[in-house]
Amino acid sequence: MSEDLQQIVLWLIPAAPLVAAIVTAVLGPKLLRYKSHLPCWSALAVSFVCSLILLLKILPSVEQAAPPEEVGVAISQTATGPQVIASGFEWFNVGSLHANIELRADSITAIMLTMVTGVSLLVAMFGSGYMSHDPGYPRFFAAVSLFVFSMCMLVLSGSFILLFVFWEAVGLCSYLLIGFWFQKPSAAAAAKKAFVVNRIGDFGLIMGIFLIWKHFGSLDFVTVLGNAARIAEVDAQNPGVIQLICFCLFLGAMGKSAQFPLQVWLPDAMEGPTPVSALIHAATMVTAGVYLVARCTPLFVMAPHAQMAVSGIGAATAAIAALIALTQTDLKRVLAYSTVSQLGFMFMALGCGAASAELVTPAVTAGMFHLFTHAFFKALLFLAAGSVMHAMGDVIDMRRFSGLKHALPITHWTFLVGAAALAGVPLLAGFWSKDDILAVLQEASRSETHGLYFGVIRVIAIGAAFLTAFYTFRAYFMTFWGPEKFPEEAGHHPHEVTPIMAWPLRTLAVCAAGIGLLVGPTHLFGDYLQKTMGLTPEHEHHLHWGVMLMSSIIAVAGIGFAWMFYVASPTIPAAIARTMKPFYVISQGKFFLDEIFMGLIVFPLLGIAKLATLVDKYFIDGIVDTVGKVPKALSIIPRQLHGGVVSSYASVMWVGVVTAVVLVLTMF
Amino acid sequence: MIALLFISLLIPAATALLLMLFRTSLNQSSARWVACCGSIAALLFSVLLLVQYRVQVVDPFGSGVMPVASSVDPASAIQPRVEYRQPWLKTGERMQLEMYFGLDGISVTMIALTTLLTVCSVLISWEAIQDRASEFYAAVLILETGLIGVFCAFDLVLFYVFFEMTLIPLFFMIAIWGGPERKWAAIKFFLYTLAGSLVTLSGLIYVVVHTSHEGLTNPTSLPALSAWLATHPLPESMQMTLFLAVAAGFLIKVPVFPFHTWLPLAHVEAPTAGSVLLAGVLLKLGSYGFLRICLPLFPAACLELGLPIIGLLSVIGIIYGSLCALAQRDIKKLVAYSSVAHLGFCMLGLFALNTEGITGSVLQMINHGLSTGALFIIVGMIYERYHTRMMDDLGGLASKLPMIACSMVFISMSSIGLPGLNGFIGEFLSLAGMFKANPLYGVLGTTGVVLGAWYLLTAVQRVFFGTLKEPHHAGHDAVEITDMNPREFLALAPLIVMCLWIGVRPAGLIAIIEPDIKAVAGLFENQDDSPTEAFVQNTTNILNHNAQISIP
Repeated sequence: MSEDLQQIVLWLIPAAPLVAAIVTAVLGPKLLRYKSHLPCWSALAVSFVCSLILLLKILPSVEQAAPPEEVGVAISQTATGPQVIASGFEWFNVGSLHANIELRADSITAIMLTMVTGVSLLVAMFGSGYMSHDPGYPRFFAAVSLFVFSMCMLVLSGSFILLFVFWEAVGLCSYLLIGFWFQKPSAAAAAKKAFVVNRIGDFGLIMGIFLIWKHFGSLDFVTVLGNAARIAEVDAQNPGVIQLICFCLFLGAMGKSAQFPLQVWLPDAMEGPTPVSALIHAATMVTAGVYLVARCTPLFVMAPHAQMAVSGIGAATAAIAALIALTQTDLKRVLAYSTVSQLGFMFMALGCGAASAELVTPAVTAGMFHLFTHAFFKALLFLAAGSVMHAMGDVIDMRRFSGLKHALPITHWTFLVGAAALAGVPLLAGFWSKDDILAVLQEASRSETHGLYFGVIRVIAIGAAFLTAFYTFRAYFMTFWGPEKFPEEAGHHPHEVTPIMAWPLRTLAVCAAGIGLLVGPTHLFGDYLQKTMGLTPEHEHHLHWGVMLMSSIIAVAGIGFAWMFYVASPTIPAAIARTMKPFYVISQGKFFLDEIFMGLIVFPLLGIAKLATLVDKYFIDGIVDTVGKVPKALSIIPRQLHGGVVSSYASVMWVGVVTAVVLVLTMF
Repeated sequence: MIALLFISLLIPAATALLLMLFRTSLNQSSARWVACCGSIAALLFSVLLLVQYRVQVVDPFGSGVMPVASSVDPASAIQPRVEYRQPWLKTGERMQLEMYFGLDGISVTMIALTTLLTVCSVLISWEAIQDRASEFYAAVLILETGLIGVFCAFDLVLFYVFFEMTLIPLFFMIAIWGGPERKWAAIKFFLYTLAGSLVTLSGLIYVVVHTSHEGLTNPTSLPALSAWLATHPLPESMQMTLFLAVAAGFLIKVPVFPFHTWLPLAHVEAPTAGSVLLAGVLLKLGSYGFLRICLPLFPAACLELGLPIIGLLSVIGIIYGSLCALAQRDIKKLVAYSSVAHLGFCMLGLFALNTEGITGSVLQMINHGLSTGALFIIVGMIYERYHTRMMDDLGGLASKLPMIACSMVFISMSSIGLPGLNGFIGEFLSLAGMFKANPLYGVLGTTGVVLGAWYLLTAVQRVFFGTLKEPHHAGHDAVEITDMNPREFLALAPLIVMCLWIGVRPAGLIAIIEPDIKAVAGLFENQDDSPTEAFVQNTTNILNHNAQISIP
């Protein structure tokens, strides 16, 4: 494929959704109306095909064309792996800050792009059925197209500054789509919360970018990340600076990927339409943080403390979110907490490189693999939950319906596949990736230096994996099993999904079932990913039979407990809730993290803000007004003399004349 | 090109004169049409000026060489590219005052911003100003004249005359057409800023007299003064004192914390057009003054005092202004406090004293003019419809006024610095510059990014989202509340387009202003002290400031 053609393909991936977004925004409300999905569909199809071409054709051909690297020389030079670069225009160029609009695709980009565009296409198809009677139909598709554009650009960015631009842009789309039903006060509040909490993370990301710019003199990925010797040099010149950069970048990742304690926005984000939750808040945008940390592996390698923090925060998040998910009754919130928890799993894996240098590549591979499989089964679960919601008249509280498996057979089967994949049932997608993570953690816990630390994290991971299986099947059994019960909003005969919604569900179900087996144990995924800049290809592969056995047992045990609690003897949960009331309340209350957040940060800041206005009014402005009174005060005495009363003038004049006369007389 | 400048300067003045002369015979409708035509004509000519400047001055031969006006000393940190000088007064044997108009990239862009915002102001006052319309529009146009004058004045006398001239029309705009507290607000605004600028004046007089004694023949000419001071620097202690004196007026004008208290009051009371011009351009006179006078004339003092002290005040201003904005219930006051925070970014960049920071600062001046101008216009639209600005009385307006709501979301995003819109570039460069100069201030300033999103999105949420809530006296005069009308659209659309354009393609704008910024930043930056720069492969074409080529 010629170079020009490669560049066109690369540009088409983000450009098609952008054009669709503009067309829908301009023509949608008046002209397209309920056909507004057409530009979006076609653009996403184009993007998806182009991503596949990039993945399967362009990058392999680039790799073959490149001269083989000589062993030993590569260390001091910039090593990029196979990549395609398409330059656009100069954005700004001031002093030593350069920002160009330039696309750069390498292996990790191609994988992300294929996943993003593929899932978006399916979600957009589902969305056209789900949103079919909504007055904001064109707005929905315009925002979704804009989101896909931003997300594609995010992973195609070749520099930190461009990454930041689209990091914010996906945040904007998330804001617009969470607040899609802006008439609902809760949706409006959730949208704002998501944006502001994300900004806290962005603060870290900006700091990281400034530090990189200051110490590397560039923000280009190839310049900064491609040269390990350069990173070591910077680290030697300024000890600790790489650690600091990594902590800052990770703060950014924590915001976007909803890691503890910044996870508070994600469950609220479920106020958005369900296809949005599936696309943005499960499969794609929230994984941007994982992508960022994986992308910056060459920096994180030099910062073991930051890596350990990544693992630690990931473990804490995974555990807390899993514990909260146990008691939630809102189906979408269960899935949201599950997303938070699974993102925690990915970070747990990413940080394992701290244990030993050989573990870096397997760790990143495991994290990215989980990201990849998670996108399919979690999108599936959300869309299935969406179709439940659709049939139940927008009711999503699991206590108000049950036994839907006969009424909604397609939804039931697809949800079951997704739930099984998430729980880690052997051979399904989630099983392989979670297995990889557990295996990496096991390796890390054998390390001499940080063995204990990673040992603890491993135990947490196993516990969280068990909880995952349990809460997922709790949701499944509560929704689809038991006596058939519908809320009155649903009418008497809930409708199963229309074909346009059913096919995306079926496709995703096939992916959730098979994609792990297809690319995991065959090492297709790992071998492809490891050509990314900063990773070293592994040559030996082995299956971790022990870990696989263990995780199978965990999954089955979790499902078994869920069956026992919610199908066999449904009185157990209530009994447990009664006997372990404090724990139940904490879990049900989401660890009161929202309240803690409000109490420790929001209210104090609002108090300070109120105080600031008072200080402004009475102190600062008071001083100004006082100073303003000085001339008036100085004039008190002179003013008496200019009172405008003629008699006083006359008397003063009389005194003056007498004095003058007396003076004159005495002088002579 | 200088003719174009004079035309853009004189059109508003002539229109204002016309409006004043025929104020008894012009009714509201004809007055606004006259004003509209006058301001649009001024806009067209200033845009033409900008285009011509871009074509003829900025890199006319593609050689990386930027011509300077023939009489300018290349050592000067202020380099008008085009100039018009006319001897004016001769005092004594040696001192000669002259009328010195000039243009460089910064002034050309600021003039275009002024004329654009004036057109918006006229359009937005269309219905709002009912009585004494003729005088109102005359005031708007006199204000425009004064603002353009400041931006093209390259000598201290003209600068100061135009600088003070802007006070009078705005004083009347607030005092006559303002809100219930208008008299107090107008007096406070007038006296506070006047008091500050008198201190500035005394400092400037001292500089002029001192340099004239030392032998400079044209001490009021800014380029000459700056070139002369580059070779005969003032003693450091004198620089400090003079810097503080000159800064006094500018600090109040910007306003930098804690000299800002006149601003919220003036904004709340001023009519929409007044607020737009006040926030959009008038405040920039302060930062422009710093850039034009303090930085080139007192470089040592800027390093010693400006960076640590004004930098700190700006950081406090960013955080404090944001917090105050967060606690406001009056949406106009919220926008006013957000101005304090945004100008904090502007000053932070300026006193980073490096190319990145100063460029960010100038961009922030322009961006703040566009986005805050637009915010005031939107607040004005809401006020015109509901006669309230209290956020508690409003809610869910997006379902009733979708176009206004969309614009509000867009402008808020621009104001909180979303990349891809204009606000980001200014903020990012200012912060990056400060991070390079003083990391602590840079870090603290960046917290404003979080707070900025918080207060503005809270305002958006409370006014536009949620269930529809309208004040009950809304339909009082039986006028149906409708979405944006074409006139309002015309007032807002150019600003929105500019926000997007600057956000996506800032390079063109930066190319216009950068040479002038490099000239100033050259005073502070050692050219070869950055080892990291050598690593950057992306080389830039370095402009050769010493080249003197007269304009063909």
